[in-house]
Amino acid sequence: MRRKTVKFVKHIPVYILLSFVVVLILMPLFWMFNSSFKAKVEILAYPPTFFAKVASMVNFEKLARRIPVMAYVKNSVIYALLTAIPGVFINSLAGYAFARLKFKGRNVLFIITLATMMIPFQVVMIPLYLVVHKLGMYDTYAGLILPKMANAISIFMMRSAFSGLPVELEESGRIDGVSEFGLFWRIMLPQCKPTIVTLIILGVNGAWNDLVWPLLVTGDISMRTLSNGLALFVGTDTVEYGAAFAGALISILPMLVLYLIGQRYFVEGTVTSGLKG
Amino acid sequence: MDKFREYWNKPAHIAYLFIAPAMILLLLFNIIPLIASLVISTFDVSMTLNDARFVGLGNFVEAFHDSRFWNSMWVTIKWTLVEMPVQVIVALLLAALLTKNTWFNKFCRGVYFLPIICSATAVSIMWRIILNSNVGYITFLLNKLGFGKINFMNNPGVTFYVIVFMSVWKSFGISTIILVSAMQNVPRVLYEAAELDRAGKIRQFFSITLPGIAPSLWYVVMTRIIGSLQVFDIVYTTTGGGPNFTTETLVTYVYTRAFEVNRMGYATAVSECLFGLILVITICLYSRMLKQENE
Repeated sequence: MRRKTVKFVKHIPVYILLSFVVVLILMPLFWMFNSSFKAKVEILAYPPTFFAKVASMVNFEKLARRIPVMAYVKNSVIYALLTAIPGVFINSLAGYAFARLKFKGRNVLFIITLATMMIPFQVVMIPLYLVVHKLGMYDTYAGLILPKMANAISIFMMRSAFSGLPVELEESGRIDGVSEFGLFWRIMLPQCKPTIVTLIILGVNGAWNDLVWPLLVTGDISMRTLSNGLALFVGTDTVEYGAAFAGALISILPMLVLYLIGQRYFVEGTVTSGLKG
Repeated sequence: MDKFREYWNKPAHIAYLFIAPAMILLLLFNIIPLIASLVISTFDVSMTLNDARFVGLGNFVEAFHDSRFWNSMWVTIKWTLVEMPVQVIVALLLAALLTKNTWFNKFCRGVYFLPIICSATAVSIMWRIILNSNVGYITFLLNKLGFGKINFMNNPGVTFYVIVFMSVWKSFGISTIILVSAMQNVPRVLYEAAELDRAGKIRQFFSITLPGIAPSLWYVVMTRIIGSLQVFDIVYTTTGGGPNFTTETLVTYVYTRAFEVNRMGYATAVSECLFGLILVITICLYSRMLKQENE
C-alpha cells in the first residue's frame, strides 16, 4: 500500500504533463462549442467569457442566412458516402483479385498500383483538375467523387485482409458450385468485415474533411461541400465569429459521433495505413 | 450465353473484371494526370486549354528567376525543419509516458486523437478566433498573465510559428498512437534485464526503446516530412499565405498561380519542382534507413 502511494507521488509530474495536453486539446474545443451558442454581444464582449450566459441559436440562423449550409451538408454527405462505400467495393474487388486469383500480369499491375501511392495528390492536382474539366465533369458529383474512389492504400489493405483467409474456405465454395463472384461476395468478403468497416470510416472522415479537391473541382455555390464552403465563407479575415463557430461546430459534430462509435477502427486503421494528417 | 458465363467464371478471366473498375479509375485519375503534368508544364496555358503556347523549359526558367517561388520553397523547407522535429519529439515523449494500458492513459490517447478527426477548416476557425487579439480567450488569458496583447495571426515574425503549432496540435495524435503501438511491441524481457542492470528509465529509453521502435520512428519521420512538404490546408484556411508571404508554401503558391492568375502550365511546373524535392528527400531518407537497418 505504501509503496503504491510512493509510486503515485513520483508520477505526479507525468500526470500533470499528460493532463495539461488534454486541457490544451479540450479547452479550445469546449470554448468553441460554448461560443457557438453565445449571443453577438457576448462574443464581442471583453473580457471574453468561457461559458455562454444564455444559449441562443442566433449564430446558426445567421450562418444559414449567409451561406446555403444545408446544401453544403448534403453535398458533404453525398461526397463522403459515395466515395467511401462504392470505393471500398471496387477496391476490395481489386484487392481480392490480387490476393486470391491467379492471372497474367498480376504482379506488374500490383506494382503499378502500389506505385500510384507514391504520387502526392498536391503534385497532380492541377493536371487532374484539367482532366476532369476536359471530361465535362467540372462542378458535378461525378467529378468530385470518381477521382477519389479508387486508391492504392485501400487495395493494399484489402489484399492483406484477403491473403490471411484459409484456402479451405475458397475450395469448399468452389466444390459447392458457387460462382466466382458469389465466392467473393458471399463467402470471402464477409470475413474481412473489420477491414471494410475501417476503410469506410476512414474514407468517410477523409472525404468529409477534404478541402483541396472540392475547392478545385466545384465552382457553383450550390455544389460546395461544408469543408470548403466554410473555408471560403470565413476567408482570411472574418469578423463573423459567431457564424464561423456555428459552421465549425456543424463540421466537427458528425465526425465526433463517428469517432465515439468507432474509435477502435479509427485508431487501428491509422496505425496500419498511416492516414495523412 | 452459357459459354459466355463459363468463360468469365474462370478465376484467371474474372480477375480482370474484378480489377477493371479500380484500374480504370487509377489510370484515368492518377497515372494520366501524372503523365499529363509533364506535357502541361512545357506550355503556357490557361484553364480552358485554349491558346496553349509551347514554351519548353520556359516555365522552369521563369520559376528559377521568381523570388516568390524561392520564398515559398524556403517557407516549405523551414516548415518541414520546424514542424517535423517538434511533432516527433512531442510524440516520442507522450508515447513513452502513455505506453502502459491504464484507464488514464487510454483516456489521454483517446483525447489526443480527437483533433485528427476534425476538418482543417474547423480547426483553423477555432484557433484563429481563440487567438484573436480582441475576442480570443487565450490572448485574454495571456494578457491577464502580463504578456500584453499579442498579435498572433497577423505578425510576420510570429504567425508562421503559430500555424506550425496548430499543425502539430492537429496531427501529433497520429504520431503518438503509432509510436505507442510500436513501444508496446518492444519485448518486456529487455526492460527486465535492464532493471537488473540498474539502468535508469532514461537510459532504458535511449538504449532499448529507441532502437526497438526504429522502423516505426522512421515511418513517422518520413510521412511527416512528405506531409510537411505538401502542407496546404492549414495555411489556406488560416492566413492564405500572409502576412507578407511569410507563410506561403509551395502548394499554396501552386494554388494561387493556377486559380488566381490562371496559369496552369506555370503552376504545374512549380508542382513538379515540389515532386522532385519530395523524390530526392524520400530516396535519401530511405537509403539511410536501409543502411541503418543493415548495421
